[in-house]
Amino acid sequence: MEEKIRKILSIVLEVPEDEINEGATPYTVENWDSLNHLKLITAIEEEFGVKLTDQDVLEMQSFKLIKSILSNKDVR
Amino acid sequence: MKDLSYTEILKANQELGRSLTAETYNIAAFSNSTINLLKEILEYSLRAEGIPAKVHIGDYDNIVQDARKYCESNGVIIFWELWNVLEGLPYKAETWDEKQLNELLEKVKGEIDFTLKNLQKTPFVILNKFSALPFNAVSLETNRFEQLARQLNRYLEDHVGRNVHLIDLDKVIAGLGLRESVDLRHYYSSKALYTVNFYRAYAQHIMPFFCSVNGKSKKAIIFDCDNTLWKGILGEDGMERIEMSPTTKDGAIFAEIQALALALAKQGVIIGLCSKNNYQEVEELIARHPDMQLRDEHIAIKKINWSDKAVNLRAIVQELNIGLDSIVYVDDSPFEIDFIRREIPEVKTFQVPDKLYDYPRLMREHMNLFYKGSSTEEDISKIKMYKRQLEREEAKKEFVNMEEYFASLKLKMTIFENDESLIPRISQMCQKTNQFNLTTKRYTENEIKNFICHEGARVYAFSVSDKFGDSGVTGVSIAMLDAKSSVAEIDTFLMSCRVIGRNLEYAFMDQLVEALKQSRIKTVKANYIQTAKNGVAKNFYDECSFILDVADKNSSKYVLDISRYRSKNINYIEVRNGRKDQENFIYSA
Repeated sequence: MEEKIRKILSIVLEVPEDEINEGATPYTVENWDSLNHLKLITAIEEEFGVKLTDQDVLEMQSFKLIKSILSNKDVR
Repeated sequence: MKDLSYTEILKANQELGRSLTAETYNIAAFSNSTINLLKEILEYSLRAEGIPAKVHIGDYDNIVQDARKYCESNGVIIFWELWNVLEGLPYKAETWDEKQLNELLEKVKGEIDFTLKNLQKTPFVILNKFSALPFNAVSLETNRFEQLARQLNRYLEDHVGRNVHLIDLDKVIAGLGLRESVDLRHYYSSKALYTVNFYRAYAQHIMPFFCSVNGKSKKAIIFDCDNTLWKGILGEDGMERIEMSPTTKDGAIFAEIQALALALAKQGVIIGLCSKNNYQEVEELIARHPDMQLRDEHIAIKKINWSDKAVNLRAIVQELNIGLDSIVYVDDSPFEIDFIRREIPEVKTFQVPDKLYDYPRLMREHMNLFYKGSSTEEDISKIKMYKRQLEREEAKKEFVNMEEYFASLKLKMTIFENDESLIPRISQMCQKTNQFNLTTKRYTENEIKNFICHEGARVYAFSVSDKFGDSGVTGVSIAMLDAKSSVAEIDTFLMSCRVIGRNLEYAFMDQLVEALKQSRIKTVKANYIQTAKNGVAKNFYDECSFILDVADKNSSKYVLDISRYRSKNINYIEVRNGRKDQENFIYSA
């Protein structure tokens, strides 16, 4: 799952994969602004086949949080 | 594109983008809502067709201003969303009286006219018709919101010039289903209404138009014969037993296909036949069969023989002197379709579906590939009509320039100084604002509070409203004052992207400079720190008559001798005081 999240972040935010680590947040990745966040959510939902709640959308503000929210939804 | 996920589209688009040369095809898309998902999807769809496109998304809610800014593009797309013409319009409209609704209607009409006037020279403008569907599909009655949409659409149909192409969004929504098309999660939080699937369907819907203006429309449609133009096999069933009459179940479908082909022929599309059959038998059928609609005069070219179809199709394009990529080939045989796809991938093919009842729908879908824009005669009469209507409507408001347009908005700016009740909003803006933000310093609520309590600091904010409502606190500035040296430094100056493009920043600067003057400040220092996002504010201090002092790669330091400040004298923004006890902070421009 981590690998997949990393790929999605890299493609959507247009940052090389190796620059995205566990600590990635909107503060550390320049392109991660509110407009790109919408794109990110769209990509995550499609790639993992989940529908996120509006609360999830708000909370997914870091690599770690994306991972933990997706884990709670039982996706791989 | 149907088979690619959104992420795959982004990736493929980035790859195609790398091979773009300098000569790009610039499309600007603007909206009074958030439509950013459109960018890469449309870009990819165009690039996949060989059009070296770059899609620029305009500033949020800046349609009128962007029309100016992007009028030199190769084309423009406008998402004018009725639900956000005014915040909360879908529910507000129901409580408004006739007069208010009419006022709003006239305002939007005026904006439409002004926008399209500024885009008169742009090669084309794709303008979506207003849709009420996302908000009224469940209501039995035609509500006021829907009436507004209808009135505006009627206005568009009667008024737009010939470079404007109206797109019916309701068709896109219907094709996909309303629930698949809109996503209310992002509607409330980000003013983004549509789903990624909607944008896919939309891009696909408008693609024939782009193909047509880029000379990529198909020119000829070539049909196989047996079970493609009629039901049955001529060589086996004979002329009496094949079916293409509307009186039989399957015959009706082929009758429809032939009628559609005939319609294409009448639009100037070349019709051809390519079939493994006995030439003589087919000739006789075309001449004599009572149900045959495509006759010799409609069919430009025939290859009826037993050689392979790739050879025949190549011969056809050679004789017609057109490219392989401008023909569409239709056949019922999966073998033949597969053969052509492998042998001549440039040829667009489609197979008669197993579910025969789906054949006409598929045919209609492919007819879009021949789209050639509007026929001119009709357009010319439309323009005449348009001119006459314009003459009749003397009374209606028309804007001559931007100033007049801004004046019509009746903008009111309210200034707040060191207002503790605004701390949460001010901090939020510091953290979220990326574009019009000169220094991009991110402050927490506590830090803002410290500024307010600090003797030498001033925290200013403004809210802005117009004739139709209030957009709340949307601008912040923080200044540090040093009384001893009479020097002040602008630590923060920012404005929400919701209100960019209304010249509010200049009015705000007037107020700030005036306030500093009152505090006996003589020199103002300011700093522009460049980020990936704040290019829009790059020249702000230059425009405000500050003098550039030191500049390096990422920042520019400015100085202003306050006695030399030149105001832009923006007289269409009324400035008011946020609190009564601060009367002295309001100065007329």
